[in-house]
Amino acid sequence: MPSGALLFQSVLLGLLLGGLYALLASGLTLYFGIMRVVMIAHSAFLILAAYLAWWLHDQAGIDPLLSMIGTVPLFFLAGVGLQRALLTRLRPATLTMMSVLLTFAIALLIEGLLGYAFSGTQRRINLGYGSASLEVLGARVAVVKLIAFGLAVVALTTLYLLMKKTRFGWALRATIQHRDAARLLGIDTDRVAGFGFGIGLATAAVGGTALSLDTTIYPSLHWHWIGPLMAIIVVGGLGSVPGAAIAALVLGMAQSLLQIPMGTTWAQTVFYVALFATLAFRPQGFFGGRLAQRF
Amino acid sequence: MIVTLGACSSSSGGDDANDKTDPITIGVSLPLTGDFSEPGKGVQQGYEAWAKIVNDSGGLLGRQVELKILDDQSNADRVVADYEQLIGKDEVDLVFGPFSTRLVVPSARVAEEYDMLFVEPAGAAKEVFEQGFKNLFYAAPAVANDHYNHLADKILAMPADQRPKTAAYAAMDDPFAQGTAYGLKEKLEAGGIKTLVDEVYPPNTTDFSGIAAKIADSKADVLVGGSQYQDGVNLIVALQQLGYQPKLAAFSTAPTNPEFASAIGNKTEGVLSPTGYSQDAQYPSNKEFVEKYTAQFGKAPEEDQANGYTTGQVVAAAVTAAGCAEQGECQKKLVDWLRANTVETVVGPLSWDETGKPKGAHMIQQWIGGDIKIVLPEDVKEAEFLYPKPAW
Repeated sequence: MPSGALLFQSVLLGLLLGGLYALLASGLTLYFGIMRVVMIAHSAFLILAAYLAWWLHDQAGIDPLLSMIGTVPLFFLAGVGLQRALLTRLRPATLTMMSVLLTFAIALLIEGLLGYAFSGTQRRINLGYGSASLEVLGARVAVVKLIAFGLAVVALTTLYLLMKKTRFGWALRATIQHRDAARLLGIDTDRVAGFGFGIGLATAAVGGTALSLDTTIYPSLHWHWIGPLMAIIVVGGLGSVPGAAIAALVLGMAQSLLQIPMGTTWAQTVFYVALFATLAFRPQGFFGGRLAQRF
Repeated sequence: MIVTLGACSSSSGGDDANDKTDPITIGVSLPLTGDFSEPGKGVQQGYEAWAKIVNDSGGLLGRQVELKILDDQSNADRVVADYEQLIGKDEVDLVFGPFSTRLVVPSARVAEEYDMLFVEPAGAAKEVFEQGFKNLFYAAPAVANDHYNHLADKILAMPADQRPKTAAYAAMDDPFAQGTAYGLKEKLEAGGIKTLVDEVYPPNTTDFSGIAAKIADSKADVLVGGSQYQDGVNLIVALQQLGYQPKLAAFSTAPTNPEFASAIGNKTEGVLSPTGYSQDAQYPSNKEFVEKYTAQFGKAPEEDQANGYTTGQVVAAAVTAAGCAEQGECQKKLVDWLRANTVETVVGPLSWDETGKPKGAHMIQQWIGGDIKIVLPEDVKEAEFLYPKPAW
């Protein structure tokens, strides 16, 4: 039986990990909601953002948090461009299927270019505060993990307010719920979908920066992330941002706690067990279906 | 590709083995291209440095040595054909081993068939010594499981009130990395030091917070990492974040990396690591090797080069003692001599058991005052062993 201190420490680590997962998964579920696009390259963009943060820190000594000033708008524009130039050209009837192939190719392209530019060596940003930590009721919380969690909270809150409180958000949700009806009401759904895609990639820029604060990065790392993230959005219900966030917190916590009895290797399987169970018993996901449409 | 080296006093009697002015030819197959080309070239440089140093000082038994190096393209079939050709057709007098376990095992089998002495620079995996080879000798201080032997002895020799009582182990799922950590674990457990955490992680792990939480919670006195490079750094940073302070911390490979200190925020004081070769080691022949190697190649030798050179030293010692270097009866004399004697090399004195496994251990280095220094064994130490480790 693990000690209380270890359990509490693991719960804290799980919460911090879950927050990061929530941010990383939110963009992925948004793409599917807006366009029925399965975006395999999402995690490749995460790693790209992490590399940009690392590179700017390495070359110019810029703190990763500052690098977001550049990367977030850049990724937003890249997202809009990607949607307008490539994804809209896919035939609607086979869009979901073909988007897997298209974004798979983009992921390979990004991985290859990263390997070409920075080699396959593992990189890590050496921050002055990299090993600093705060004490919380006897457990330790690393400052970098707290910053990453803070970024996730801010980004998700912004996304939520954007979707709920702005005219653009209403238009975006209308596009998610019923594209034809939205168009009949005078919403330029193509433009909205492009911006929605841009927002998805902008979350990848924030997520990648958060990721770079506390982990090693290497070009093929995105394959390590896409599986768990896909599992999260299926469990949460495809297209549902709150569903993805809740599923991310639950699964992140489960992974962290399962590491105590099962070890690192087997704890990773929690995502796939949850994925199989969801597909077998509740294919629409736990927060999908009607809830996703209402959001 | 054939590379010939050394001053060949050619056309002096052809194949006549009794003509003692002939150069001694040594056949080698190395992976100069393919998967192992990097270490393969390193070993080649070690062999070439050895041949040059021997020839410059008058050769072996008064004869010059000549290397005949073939490229096996890191291919196990090719390496067998190469040694068949070298021994059978080219009738070389001696052979040196190739690089890596995967190539050492098949080529050792060929050498065994022809009853040739087979000293090899790299093939440290357990299976090499489980094939029943009678002519094989591994020319390095220790196999992975024995890397930490000096450290284990040191810990177990501490007075009971100072000796650590508990230990935590975290090892990458990799035969070499696990071998080092588990070798130490076995010895410490046998000495009564309790294992509190024993974690294995996949090679691509980037998040070590879970493992670190377990280790920190156990408050183990000793921390042992069966690491390569980045995983060791990540584990240390995750442990620092959790405020864990072990009395002793040892990691394989990672601490000897030039970027290690800055990667963990320069909090390296007291971190230990085993090492097979050090340019600073005070073994008698090492100084000459480092000096002459640097003069020949323009940079100091690393472990691969040292392993190649060591192979040459081992064979040379046997040849000098047995007074012969040719195929046939002589090879048996060389094998018997090595079986019974200790050879002084650039990596320390080497001796072997009946399977060809070296009986030694790696030197232990420790970060002291911002630099990594040899602390064990006592006879080559550059600094005093520091215990307990200062906080990181």
